[in-house]
Amino acid sequence: MTVNIQQQSKIAKSTILAKLTKQVSGADYTKLPIEQGYQYPEISQQAHIDKFVSLLEANHAQVIKLDETNIANVVSKELENRGISTLLYGKNARYCDQIIKIEPGIKAQAFDFSLTKKQQYKDKLFNDTPASITSSHSAIAATGSIVLWPTINEPRTLSLVPPVHFVIVDATSLHSDFASLISAQQWQNNLPTNVVLVSGPSKTADIQQTLAYGAHGPKELIVLLLNS
Amino acid sequence: MTMPTNHNEESKYAASARAFRANVTRDLNNEELRENFRGAMDYLMDKRKGAFSDINELETLRQQCKLIKQRCLLKLPYLLAQLEKNLEANGIKVHWAETTNDANEIIAQLIARKKGKSVVKGKSMVSEETALNDYLEAKNVECLESDMGEYIVQLAKEHPSHIIMPAIHQNKKQVADLFSENIEGFTHTTDVDALIGEGRRVLREKFCHADVGVSGVNFAVAETGTLCLVENEGNGRMCTTVPNLHIAITGIEKVIEFLDDVPPLLSLLTRSATGQIISTYVNMISSPRKEGEKDGPEEVHLVLLDNGRSQAFADEELRQTLQCIRCGACMNHCPVYTRIGGHAYGTVYPGPIGKMVSPHMLGLEATTNLPSASTLCGACGEVCPVKIPIPKLLIRLRAENVKAKGSAPKVMKGEGSGRKKVEASVWKIWSFMHKHPFIYNSSMWFATRFRALLPSKIGVWTSVRSAPKIARNTLHERVKTRKHNKSNYTNQI
Ligand code: SF4
Repeated sequence: MTVNIQQQSKIAKSTILAKLTKQVSGADYTKLPIEQGYQYPEISQQAHIDKFVSLLEANHAQVIKLDETNIANVVSKELENRGISTLLYGKNARYCDQIIKIEPGIKAQAFDFSLTKKQQYKDKLFNDTPASITSSHSAIAATGSIVLWPTINEPRTLSLVPPVHFVIVDATSLHSDFASLISAQQWQNNLPTNVVLVSGPSKTADIQQTLAYGAHGPKELIVLLLNS
Repeated sequence: MTMPTNHNEESKYAASARAFRANVTRDLNNEELRENFRGAMDYLMDKRKGAFSDINELETLRQQCKLIKQRCLLKLPYLLAQLEKNLEANGIKVHWAETTNDANEIIAQLIARKKGKSVVKGKSMVSEETALNDYLEAKNVECLESDMGEYIVQLAKEHPSHIIMPAIHQNKKQVADLFSENIEGFTHTTDVDALIGEGRRVLREKFCHADVGVSGVNFAVAETGTLCLVENEGNGRMCTTVPNLHIAITGIEKVIEFLDDVPPLLSLLTRSATGQIISTYVNMISSPRKEGEKDGPEEVHLVLLDNGRSQAFADEELRQTLQCIRCGACMNHCPVYTRIGGHAYGTVYPGPIGKMVSPHMLGLEATTNLPSASTLCGACGEVCPVKIPIPKLLIRLRAENVKAKGSAPKVMKGEGSGRKKVEASVWKIWSFMHKHPFIYNSSMWFATRFRALLPSKIGVWTSVRSAPKIARNTLHERVKTRKHNKSNYTNQI
């Protein structure tokens, strides 16, 4: 006989909640102790940028400072150095007018397909997409993190599956730390399907504590830093 | 005819926890294993130390995070309800399970509904707790671990020996041997980059084709209905993004109230665990694929598991167990863990956290040896990022372990299991003696005067130590003589 999981879950919910509620029903939530946070020293915007760059580099990311108009040039040079001739980008995404200037030396392909319907697109993404480029939403100096905010134009897998990931970061979107970023932008009210903080290429130390890059995600993270 | 599942069937972990003493002897005699652990623990302790250069910052954060977790626990039932409401509003389905078996059944049915045949798993200790892989494999669903460490452990048909670094007990030569035996076409090498490259090749193929992704959760944010996952490899992102169905499983204690609670907890979690100021990826999932989006799972589910947590919750002192954010720092700093390794405990969660939490999951009968498998040196409590007084809780569990059966109030399953008649009577006599000076003094007199009668071999104790020697006189006698001499001396002046 198969268990009716819906029914069972309903019973479990009421049992668990009843057990827990019994223990805290008398609690006075107005008298909670103050949760004092740590005050980090204020530093200049330039110091933030330096910190951001040095942390990313320490985590094996490559950081290139450039102007927006140079994106196509720099990316195509980096791709040529790696012997890569195609680049996947987000259709209608920010900076895409710059990215398509990369043609004809490099073939820029737009992410204009949808995963699931056919295995074909997954195969293409996993097997025939050596590099990708995305924009970013903001960045965090204290931890050297880039905030990816995937959209319809720049889907989640665009920054995940291809082995080389270029990400464009605007230095003016840099925040000192994660907490102040959340509060400045009121993330509580507008979280999308998925947000990812990225702080380097994919890595692992699971074999005898030896660090190796390119575990499952991108082996290389190349940060194109604008306005620094 | 399908047989009804036996809910009382003892889990494999209970059986191996019972064998604790035998496991310890086995693993202490394995020199390679001890070397692997020593090396790994030294490395992790060093990394953590390097990440906390400012002691003020560390202590402020620990206090803050302790209070955050205590607030969230104090509001736990309400936060769970709020989490469910907000997740469902975002399109994520929530399921509740009291036992590991119920959780597995929920997951199995969700997979069956989608006719899923292959699962890729991100690292999830809770799914280890439920032994999900065994459950699904029995239903002919292929279940592949995708965290590199977990993948290695799965190939070796073992379970993780560490909650953060699952394959810490293996060295690269052992991993290379394992790959040779299991992966066709693999040319033996101990080059770590090549080994990881091979794992990547095998697993990417699986990500590309799997029907289902299963993951754990580090923080479930009630306020926004968001699941946060912390990882370095990208396999967690793969499991939660590429397959069409994503099922997350977590313990009920993982819920936090506000999004603002995430940054301090996150900062302590990664630094305490591996000394990283942040992990490579922090993945925050708030909904399944929305209209028009080109990827991401069409269905996302969260399974909330109790499995003994509500029992710990019911006692105010033991409730602190649930503050744990599973950073693993307590095991990295534990002298016992470092020596016996993660498998000797027999439980899913080894080390100090395992000794605290396993008795609630498996009962004190099966885990009767665990609370006392500690020197009470205090290192675990000192490094715990949420300030769980681990040694104190272990002492408490020791008391629960030996209390007279049936004595009220009932605190936990299997309490009193460690109580031995002889031991209990010895303590009764001890207490009686200490209340009656005449009996105390005369027995002490006898003990010191006849000390030569004490045997030089006292069972296991003297197998690795020399036998204790009783002094010629009792301490009381010596103090008395000293006082006497001293007063003579003062009188002379
Ligand atoms: S008990 Fe504390 S130190 Fe141990 S894993 Fe949990 S949070 Fe980390």
